[in-house]
Amino acid sequence: MQTVLPVIVAAAYVVVLTFVALRARAARQFSEFSLARRALPLALVFGSLAATYVGPGFSIGFVGRGFKSGFLFLGIGLAYSVQNILVGLFIAPRLRALKDCHTLGDAIGQKYDRKCQIVAGIISVSVCTFFAAVMAHAGGVVINDIFGLPNWSSVIVVVGITALYTTFGGLRASVITDAFQFTTFALLLPLTLLFVLVFRFDGGAATFSEQASVATSNGFGSTSFIEIVGLVAAFLLGETLIPPYANRALASRTTRISRNGFMLAGLFSIVWFIVMIALGVAARSIVPAGTDEDHVLLKLVGSIMPASGYALLLVVLVSVVMSSLDSLLNAGAVAFAEDIVKPFAELPDEKALNVGRCATIVIAVIAMAVAPAVPSVIDGLLICYTIWASAILPALIIGLLVKRPRPLAGILSMGVGTFVAMSAIVFLFIFPSIIKAPAIIIPALGAALLAYILGHWLDKIISGV
Amino acid sequence: MEVVTFAIVVIAALFAVCSGVWVATALVRAISRHQTTQNSSQSENDKNNQEQI
Repeated sequence: MQTVLPVIVAAAYVVVLTFVALRARAARQFSEFSLARRALPLALVFGSLAATYVGPGFSIGFVGRGFKSGFLFLGIGLAYSVQNILVGLFIAPRLRALKDCHTLGDAIGQKYDRKCQIVAGIISVSVCTFFAAVMAHAGGVVINDIFGLPNWSSVIVVVGITALYTTFGGLRASVITDAFQFTTFALLLPLTLLFVLVFRFDGGAATFSEQASVATSNGFGSTSFIEIVGLVAAFLLGETLIPPYANRALASRTTRISRNGFMLAGLFSIVWFIVMIALGVAARSIVPAGTDEDHVLLKLVGSIMPASGYALLLVVLVSVVMSSLDSLLNAGAVAFAEDIVKPFAELPDEKALNVGRCATIVIAVIAMAVAPAVPSVIDGLLICYTIWASAILPALIIGLLVKRPRPLAGILSMGVGTFVAMSAIVFLFIFPSIIKAPAIIIPALGAALLAYILGHWLDKIISGV
Repeated sequence: MEVVTFAIVVIAALFAVCSGVWVATALVRAISRHQTTQNSSQSENDKNNQEQI
């Protein structure tokens, strides 16, 4: 019974997901594959954005953090919400207003020059591939935990199904399935919290507040100030406009929908963090105190719904992983076709579509191969955040905000940002006791900003304008 | 204060559920409208084919 029920629920989930993906149908043109014909309505932009950012870190990770540190992580998570709202207000509408723009590389190419587009494309594809490997690793862990399948075959199942519908349907299939997956976890996890609070939590509001207060004090006691600053910086900048988000900004029907989609996603993240942390706090009265952070949600659901708990959790967690993974595969493939291949070769629409599809498969295969080497979900995400924030953000945001950005500034900032971020990551692995993971984003971002200013100044001197 | 914290958590959970329902409605509308568009373009194609014949 323990194994049969999860298998039945998983099979039913795959059948419904396949039905939804088929209704989205295969993309026939590159514009459909990359931008869903720029026709996405507000609810789908919002649902897809939220489904993409709610990965294992923002679900399993936040429940575990709520269990250990109470509402400390709500304060840190708010930096992420603020970032989404600021992007909605100032960046997404400007991005959407650019013409003939399929990717962030395109936007950087239009603002700087073609060389900058190619460098941005290489960074985008690499970051998407590593992000996808982190998601594949998380998916493998989930399937392995529930079915006991070997890790490699768990990774193949999750990545294989996701790659299949993303390869054929492109962005539209990704967005439609994201909406379905968002619906699944946005209903099931909050309803689980309400069920726990109403039926399984002894002591009511007073006990809940007491548990929250004790956990939050513990959190502040065990986290240093520099770690909190590093985490706030990582949450504020690490996922800012990563390729899948940028694709949704570009694919919105209007600039207004693009702006409102990001703002609503930012507001929803506040609500989501409260729900996840509250689940962690509520678990303190139900789950044993020494439980590993990554297993708190699993143990909580397993203990309150013994027979169907694992099955329910399987659906939620697989949704969480797949909705992030499909967006990353599509965004990486589109960046490869648009920013790396197109600058060197004339690509008619049909060829571009085929290149995009092949790139989806190749990125999926690389993600599967790299997944076993990912140290942990949180460490993997922090590595991606550090590289992305320092390599791309200064060039992208300054480029979109100023009138005449200089190509030398863009290329120097991207090059130095990538180099310092990679060096900091290597340093982190060699000397883990000297530097904490969240803090490495700060020197890398600082170096990228300095390089931008230097490049701007040099370009001014060289060109004499 | 205790009741306020508890109430905020419950309201957040209900808000998340409402968001899920909103996106689900949009999803159903999107895939059924898409099907309608596909059907109508199919019948248009059939009509054109018949005219050509």
